Amino acid sequence: MAAQTIPLASTTTAEPAADWDALAAQARAVRRTKAVVLYAFLIAVSLPIILPYFWLVTIAFSAKTGVAETAVLWRSMAVVVPAVVAFWLTAALAQGRRQLWIGIAAVAAFAVFAFALLVGPDLHLGNFIFLWEPDFASVVRSRIGEVKGAVQFPNVWHAFGNSILIAGAQTAIVVTVASLAAYYLSRFQFPGRSSMLRSLLVLHAFPVLTLIVPMFLMLYWIGLLDTLSGVILVLVAFELPFAIFIMKGFFDAVPWDIEMSALTDGASRRQAFVSVVLPQVRNGILAIAVFTFIRGWEEYIFVFTFLIRNSNWTMSLYMYWVRDDVMGVDYGVVSAVGVFYLVPSLILYMAAQRYLMQMSIGGVKG
Amino acid sequence: MAKIEFRNVVKRFGAVEVIPDMNLVIEDGEFVALLGPSGCGKSTSLFMLAGIYLPSGGELLFDGHVVNEVEARDRNVGIVFQSYALYPHMSVRDNILFPLRFKKTPRDEALTKVKAVADLVRVAELLDRRPGELSGGQQQRVALARALVKEPQLLLLDEPLSNLDASLRLSMRTEIKSLHEQLGVTTVLVTHDQIEATTMADRIICMRAGRIEQVGTPDDLYLRPSSLFVASFIGSPPINLIAGEAEGGTVTVNGVRFPVDGASGSLTMGLRPELLRFGDTGFAGRIAQIEPMGREILYVVETGMGAVRVLEQGSSAGHSPGEEVKVSFLPENSLVFETERQKLIAGAHVRAPG
Repeated sequence: MAAQTIPLASTTTAEPAADWDALAAQARAVRRTKAVVLYAFLIAVSLPIILPYFWLVTIAFSAKTGVAETAVLWRSMAVVVPAVVAFWLTAALAQGRRQLWIGIAAVAAFAVFAFALLVGPDLHLGNFIFLWEPDFASVVRSRIGEVKGAVQFPNVWHAFGNSILIAGAQTAIVVTVASLAAYYLSRFQFPGRSSMLRSLLVLHAFPVLTLIVPMFLMLYWIGLLDTLSGVILVLVAFELPFAIFIMKGFFDAVPWDIEMSALTDGASRRQAFVSVVLPQVRNGILAIAVFTFIRGWEEYIFVFTFLIRNSNWTMSLYMYWVRDDVMGVDYGVVSAVGVFYLVPSLILYMAAQRYLMQMSIGGVKG
Repeated sequence: MAKIEFRNVVKRFGAVEVIPDMNLVIEDGEFVALLGPSGCGKSTSLFMLAGIYLPSGGELLFDGHVVNEVEARDRNVGIVFQSYALYPHMSVRDNILFPLRFKKTPRDEALTKVKAVADLVRVAELLDRRPGELSGGQQQRVALARALVKEPQLLLLDEPLSNLDASLRLSMRTEIKSLHEQLGVTTVLVTHDQIEATTMADRIICMRAGRIEQVGTPDDLYLRPSSLFVASFIGSPPINLIAGEAEGGTVTVNGVRFPVDGASGSLTMGLRPELLRFGDTGFAGRIAQIEPMGREILYVVETGMGAVRVLEQGSSAGHSPGEEVKVSFLPENSLVFETERQKLIAGAHVRAPG
């Protein structure tokens, strides 16, 4: 560097030496500001999404009198909102990974302590009475002295079972059919293949509600109205196109060579599919399984239209009737049912997050 | 082990005829290479042997039996793919075990076989790993082990070395060749790399556009290429081809006169770079470029007939760029082709001018 004898130097002599430290500091400051603003924005837009859930849970565990009481709600908000802001400030001000963790731990500890102090004494499980008392509607109404006219609710576990049955059966059928169909679409040439692929997407874009009346009539004629299997068939039909499309992407990513290799190694086409190809698309199968299960679990319109007897109620119908019948009588019970309904899909989502993320990517990674 | 025979084999994909009419005999225990540029039908032939493609016509015979319609899994053929095609979700041991699963080999016996073949290709210490954790060379060995464990009657290698780096390619070449010598299994290698073909195979089948251009030992193909295509495809650096018109026993190219024996009409002379010599006689030119290649030096000589490549032994250049030189050769080292039909004229030679 010192002995510069480059003949071109004459043109660059006027340039002052850049202050690298100042430039680096400036870049750091810009990055930090950008991150702070970005997080502020993200927090602002996610609060309206998260707050209703937070309220739902808080009310479910704290409501006592049955009427819409807000004291506990505001107290819990007084803990949560400052905590979120404090987390954000910690992240913005921390000068390193260590400080960040210490700050977050401190804020979390303080928030937990404040929550226990302000909200803790009001928490109880009384609103979950429906879990052990099938005739809870009468019990709840009797609290305010009015018993007559209460709907006879089926056992909540029965509705829970129906929901599991619908979501589970739907998942099993969709996964099986979609895997086989997608494999065929991915590997074989046949007339109409490309138009079939196109129509899969069109089918998915079709607003399903427009079909609800004809389907009601069809189910009535074939005698599957007010049966779980009828609803399962309808749900499968609507879920399949998208699942096939996703699975085709996964199968496309499995190299031909592997399959040919299995064939020459002595496997039949079916054995090659089962022992070599399927394991490669395992993530795809898990993704569509979770996705389909959650779709079936949260299904409301079709079960509401096609299921009538209360022994066929699913969780979404149970939820609907609880709200319809007990609302205005007991807020807390409605929220508790909501929480109970929410938990399984939440657990499933969290457990399967990884695979759902891959669905949009759609590929085997080496 | 098996003797393989193609009898008038045709392969069409829809309207496209990839292989119009293939006739070939591969002797039991032989190591042959299918050599040709990409798209010449060599991989298609291989997949027909493996049973993955069904021939559109003709007969494919293993030991005299027609196997056209025998399923891939019943042919007992081992195949190593260019991508290795290892099963990523299985350990190396399970990969090698896979073919034995379908042969209903008892577990103990199968494990013994896996151990033996893993020792043979030196992957014994990798058995518990996944293919994703192996290097390219190791994956290659595992793929070989998987192909060999079922004791195939025919071993097919589809561009097995093209995904390896240069030094590994060199050692795998030697290794595959010595494996073949140990096991004596009939082996068909598909490659577009003439060096792989000439170094490993007993016989080379040079293909072009679905047709067999020439079948012969590496020496046959190098010294007596039957066509211009084979002559130019084999040899590195490539052969010098000079086209001219013969009249009265002389080929005249841009005023340079080469005496010719045994041929007339439109001719193309083929001169291998390493058989050309600088000297006091011959055709004149000027050295345009020098490319040292280690043991040898390649000179590109600009002549009135175009650029001519001359390969000289030795590591230091005896000539410098811009130097005027004369290039000569021995008549028996020259090849003469009919320009029209692109075929070799046997026994015809040209002499260096001057």
